[in-house]
Order: sequence, then C-alpha cells, then structure tokens
Amino acid sequence: MQQDQLIGEGVGFERIRRITGYLVGTLDRFNNAKRAEEHDRVKHDVSCCSLEEEHTA
Amino acid sequence: MIEQIVKRDGRRAPFEIEKIANAIFGAAQASGGQDYEMARGLADQVEKLLEKTAGDQIPTVEQIQDTVEKVLIESGHARTAKKYILYRNERTRVREMNTRLMKVYEDLTFQSSLENDVKRENANIDGDTAMGTMLKYGSEGAKQFYEMFILDPEHARAHREGDIHIHDLDFLTLTTTCCQIDLLKLFSGGFSTGHGFLREPNDIRSYAALACIAIQSNQNDQHGGQSVPNFDYSMAPGVRKTFRKLFRDNLAKALEVFGADDNNEVDAKTLTERIERETGKWACLAGGNGYDEAMAAALGETLDEQTVQKCLRFARKYADKETRKATYQAMEALVHNLNTMHSRAGAQIPFSSLNYGTDTSPEGRLAIEQLLLATEAGLGNGETPIFPIHIFKVKEGVNYNEGDPNYDLFKLACRVSAKRMFPNFSFLDAPFNKQYYKPGHPETECAYMGCRTRVIGNRYDPTREIVSGRGNLSFTSINLPRIAIRSHGDIDWFFEDLDRKIDLVIDQLLARFRIQSAKKVRNYPFLMGEGVWIDSDKLGPDDTVGEVLKHGTLTMGFIGLAETLKALIGKHHGESDEAQNLGLEIVSHMRERMDQAGEKYGLNFSLIATPAEGLSGRFVKIDRQRFGVIEGVTDRDYYTNSFHVPVYYPIGAFEKIAREAPYHEMTNGGHISYIELDGDPTQNLEAFEAVVRAMKEAGIGYGAINHPIDRDPVCGYTGIIGETCPRCGRREGEGVPLSKLQKLGLYKHLNSTTLGYHGDPAEEADRQPNTLQIVKD
Ligand SMILES: [Zn+2]
Repeated sequence: MQQDQLIGEGVGFERIRRITGYLVGTLDRFNNAKRAEEHDRVKHDVSCCSLEEEHTA
Repeated sequence: MIEQIVKRDGRRAPFEIEKIANAIFGAAQASGGQDYEMARGLADQVEKLLEKTAGDQIPTVEQIQDTVEKVLIESGHARTAKKYILYRNERTRVREMNTRLMKVYEDLTFQSSLENDVKRENANIDGDTAMGTMLKYGSEGAKQFYEMFILDPEHARAHREGDIHIHDLDFLTLTTTCCQIDLLKLFSGGFSTGHGFLREPNDIRSYAALACIAIQSNQNDQHGGQSVPNFDYSMAPGVRKTFRKLFRDNLAKALEVFGADDNNEVDAKTLTERIERETGKWACLAGGNGYDEAMAAALGETLDEQTVQKCLRFARKYADKETRKATYQAMEALVHNLNTMHSRAGAQIPFSSLNYGTDTSPEGRLAIEQLLLATEAGLGNGETPIFPIHIFKVKEGVNYNEGDPNYDLFKLACRVSAKRMFPNFSFLDAPFNKQYYKPGHPETECAYMGCRTRVIGNRYDPTREIVSGRGNLSFTSINLPRIAIRSHGDIDWFFEDLDRKIDLVIDQLLARFRIQSAKKVRNYPFLMGEGVWIDSDKLGPDDTVGEVLKHGTLTMGFIGLAETLKALIGKHHGESDEAQNLGLEIVSHMRERMDQAGEKYGLNFSLIATPAEGLSGRFVKIDRQRFGVIEGVTDRDYYTNSFHVPVYYPIGAFEKIAREAPYHEMTNGGHISYIELDGDPTQNLEAFEAVVRAMKEAGIGYGAINHPIDRDPVCGYTGIIGETCPRCGRREGEGVPLSKLQKLGLYKHLNSTTLGYHGDPAEEADRQPNTLQIVKD
C-alpha cells in the first residue's frame, strides 16, 4: 500500500441547510428562489446589547 | 379545384370538403341548426373563395378557418359563426397547452436538475432519477389536465396568473394532504399494508420498525407529510414489553448460574407467568410495583434468601442494560430507515415528523432519550439525518423548568438540536395550544407536521378537538404583495380586494373538498382502509369519505407579508411599529374570514403561514414581469415566507421573536419562526437554550433554530467548515494523504466504495436490522 496516496480528490463538502422546515443535504437541490433566499440570510444576534440597539430602531 | 392543404406541422394532406361541412354543421348544431345541406352549401362557398384568394398556393389550415369565418359572417349566419370561432379558440388553447406540456416534457427529459428549476421544485424529490422524472411527467400532465377540464375557469385563471396558488394541484382529484397517525390504535391487533399482515409488535424493535412502515404506507395515500403526534407514548409499550421479556430471560440465566441443582427445573417462564397472574403486574424498568417482591417470595420457596436476591439483582441489572441498548438500536434503525426508505414509486423519502417530549413514564423517557442520542450520533458515517423532523413538545411542569420530570430531556433536546438542527420546539403553554390541553390525554397535546401544519381545533365536531387521525385536506395561498402593489397605497382598496381573493379561495377550497368527498375508502387502502383517519374504521370499502373528511382542515395561506407592507406604507414589520400594526390587522382579518367561513359551512377553515418552497419564486417572477422592479417588493428572487421578518434584514434574535410571535396565535392552520444562529451553537448551549425559552415566553407556537451544518465526507468532520476542514486540513475537492488519515485513525479500506470515514467500528458491530414478522394472508 502506497503511503503517499491522496484520498478524496474531487470530493466536495456537504452543506446542510433548512428550507421551509425540511433539511436539505446540499444547496444544489434548492430551487433558484430558495437558493437566493438562503444566500440573503443574515444571522440573528443573541447578545443583550444588540437587543437594546434594536429597540431604538 | 383545391386538392391539398398544409397542416399545422407543415405536412400536406388531401383536401376534404366534408371536413369543412362537418365543422360548420357542428357549429350550427351548437346554436340550434339542423340543416346539413346548408352546411354543405356553405362549405362549397368556402372552397370557391379559397380558390380565388390562395391562387396557386396550397392553403393552410389557418387560411381555411379564416375563410370559413368570413363566409359564415357574410352569408348572415352570425350565431353559427360565433360558435365556430369559440370552438376554434378553444381548440387553439388546447393545442397551445399541449405544445407547452410537450415543451415541459422535453425539458424534463433532456435537461439536468441543475439547469431545470421544475426538477428542483421540491428539494426532497431527486428530479434526476428515472422515478423522479416519471413523477414530474405525471405531475405536469395532471396539472394541465385539471386546468383544462376540472377547475372552475375562474379558479384556473387566478392560479395561472398568480393571484392565488393552489398547492399540490397535481393531486387535485386524488387525495388529501397529511395525517397525524395514532400508532397505538393502528398497532393494536396488528394491521395490513396491502402486501402482508403485520402482527401486533412485541418489542421496541418491532414498534420502531412498524412505525416506519405505517408512515411509509400512509404517505402513499396522501400528497403531503406524515406525523406521529405522540411518538414517546407510542413507543413506551414497546419498551415495556422488551423489559419484561429481558427480565425473564436474564432471570433464567441467573437461575442457571446461581440456582442449586434441584432448582434447574424451575422454569423462569413458568414462574414469570405465575407472578404476572398473581400480581397483575409485569417486571418494569422503574421497579417498585410489587412484582420483584412477589417474585422473591416465589423463588424463596426453593432458594435461600441470599441466592434469591443475587438472582433478582442479576436479572434487573442486565434487563436494564439490555433494554437501553435495544431501545437505542431500535431508534437508530428508525432514523436510518426514515432516511433511506422510499415512497411514491421510489422517488421520494417519506416526509416524516415525530412529536414527543411529554411522556414522563420511565419507558417513554427512555424512548425519547435514545431517539435523541441516536440522532446526535448521526447516520452510519456520521451524516446529519434529514428525516424525521423532530418536534420536542415544551410544557411547563413536565420538561421546562429545573425539577420538572423531563427537564433533563429538554436539556438534551437543546444539545442535539445545536448539533443536528432537530428537534424543533413546540410550545404547549402558548394560550392557543393550552386551551386544548387536558392532562393525561396525549391526544389533546397540540402537535405539528414538521413543515408547520397544525390541526387540533374542530368546529365540525367540538367533542373531538384532538390531534390523532386528523390532518389538512388542502390549502391555497394568496399573493398578498400583488394586492398591495395594485392598491397604490390605498389601504381600503387593499382590504376590499383581499376580501375578493379570500372569497375566491373559499370557493375553490370547497370545490376541491367536493371532489375529495366523493372518493371512496378503497381509494385510500391504508389511510382509510386501515382506519388511520378518524372514524374511517366505521366505513366499508365502497363508502364515500366525505363525512369523515370533515374532521380535516381547509386552509388558506399567504406569502410575503413583509413585501406587502413595503408596498403599502414603505416599511416592513421588522423595521416599523406602524407596519407591525398594519401587518397584524391584515393577518387577523384573514383569520376572521376563515372563522366566518367555518361558521357558515360547519367545516374547519383555518389560516396557515404558508410553507412556500415551490411558491417563493413563482409569484415574484410574475409580478416583476407585470409591475417591474419595485424596491423592497419585487427586487429579490423570492417573496418572504408568510409573516416572517425578511431574512436579509438585520435584527436581534429576541426582537425577531417578539415581532413574529403575535402572528402565531392568528395562524391556527400552522406557523413557525426561525432564528439564524451564527457560529457553532454546540459551543454556546446557554445562548441556544435562551432562544428557545424566549420563544416560549413570547407565545410562539412552533419554532426552530437554524445554523450551518457542514460535513467533510472524507474525514467525517461535522460542524462548520470554511475554506479548509478543521480536522484533516483539506480544501473542497482536494485529496488528503492516506498516511494523514491513518494517523487520525479515520481510514479503513482502500477502495472507492469505502472511501473515507466509516464511523465507529465497535458501534457498527452492534447494529441490528429491524426484523419483522410478516405473515402472508
Ligand atoms: Zn476533513
């Protein structure tokens, strides 16, 4: 057995996301609109300070 | 003399004067005429006129038809001409639809799902497989058939033009959406799948396996998902049976080892039967029910006290250990099965949802715990399971606070969700859920279909406000942003037009319900034939299902509240209190209209926050074509899901929860709120739990937390992967030296099918298939 052999060439990472309640294994099974929606998502801050800032908005 | 014509496809055909005469006679008959000779005479005139106008050219079908119209009108046959034109237009429409359908088929056939959005309409159907494509042929063909021949033309037009969206239109004449399955009722006495009879299950493994089969069988009778509303209560008897059996088996082993020679004939089985008969109890996980003491006394008839205690300790210790293990394996197999089993001609995994969290019995608790642990461990190679959708039912006094009997399971649910995105959380203390809750009656605990559908209230039969055996019949969504765009900021006009659309939707839901009602029990061999749907067990195979279907819901949905508010007053409800107030007014109005329709028809009309996978892009595409790009309204490729604050809008988690919570109460047909967390939440479980608790306190009915889950199939790492994998260091598509993987202990075999990470070998050896007792009848 060769020790310098490379494993996993051409193999991508899996990225699991949720759409309308269901998990989906990879983004390429999303339809175009859901892909756009996933792309636009921003994270929601859970710290208290940001909460106060939001209230002033 | 005309001898030939040019057909629409360019081929030539012989000219036949009789065909023209027949067409004219047909049109004349439709307006009351009876005279074929006159039709023949008119056809001769058509030929003469054609000879003049066409010259040396061979006339086309279109030219001939134009000439027929001209001759009819000029010879004073106005009514016949009108019928002829109508008939001609109808034929044109059918032909165009056929052409369009054939174009759809062509694209389905020759384009991959990467190029073809129709193939990706539903992310859980693999549009590139043979069965997936066959499913799409059927679906697209059915939709056009219904549009042409079944739907009320007004409903068809509204759907086609994007005023409303009739969901699952391809199933219009076939079935209903979804069902909440009462597994215990189904298991009692066994059931038939249509391919064989399954006995009542006798241990946790067969309980779990039969649960999968029930979900799969029911899925084949409906177009939506399948939900188990009380999975913990449903599995508990399986755990109980397993423990009883293992206690007996281990007692036999103990007697074999510790018993005296002349005690060997003491059969553990006989003893067990005797004690069960005398006490009316089984050996159980928790002990303390008098069984062990009675058994001790019986064993004491032939054995000394010390040996008796030794045997009982042995039996309990190993029964306990083996029951836990059997339950874990059963739950692991269930998760595995629900991710691999197919339904609907092999193209789709069943959309399964499991609700649990409130059974405080030791057996129910064990089932919950082991299901969560199996989910946390992931599939064979550590992959995140896509199904089932887990819904953990949060309830004060049961699992919400420290000291509650299932508080430990709530904590575990948070931990697993932080890793696997499931469970989601439902909140039984939300006032609109609590009103149905009766302690000791799991069927009154509100449950959710994973996607968000909610069915519990029952206007048709208020004595049956329960979850089991019920589901949604169909739903249709309103394109809210379009009404707002067309209103040009006139709020009164907006509400007037909204009412017109609501009228249309009610009408359409009722029309569909009439079709559904005419179906017979034999059309749903499992759902109705096995008595899964409420009261269907009282019907015979040729009875119609209309009456029992009335327990289901007829549901109106909506999309794009945020874009609607933008169009109306320039701000959405995430950024302005004024918009929030208007948003609440709009949604509560829709709910009131559903309540009124329910009152009027005695049916369960409800309002759902539409789960809009297929719809999110469709409406906005049409609206952009019609109204152009409007900032904040049609400028993205999707309309925002139901009442959600737009995903692109920066807002704190707690503020988002507060903004969306009031809509949960109004959307009695289903709702969900999402929070997107940054980073790896397993590293910050307090924050994760704080979000869940905030949802509960805000009065949210059903919520979930999204976070990225990435996985490297080569080394098995699950978590967040940026550019490079934190475990093996490779970039996407790069290879890793074999020696490195071996050093990490992650590599077993050297061939393409076993490439990469293969889980824990010790755990793999423990895996057992679900064996089933199938008796052919
Ligand atoms: Zn890696």
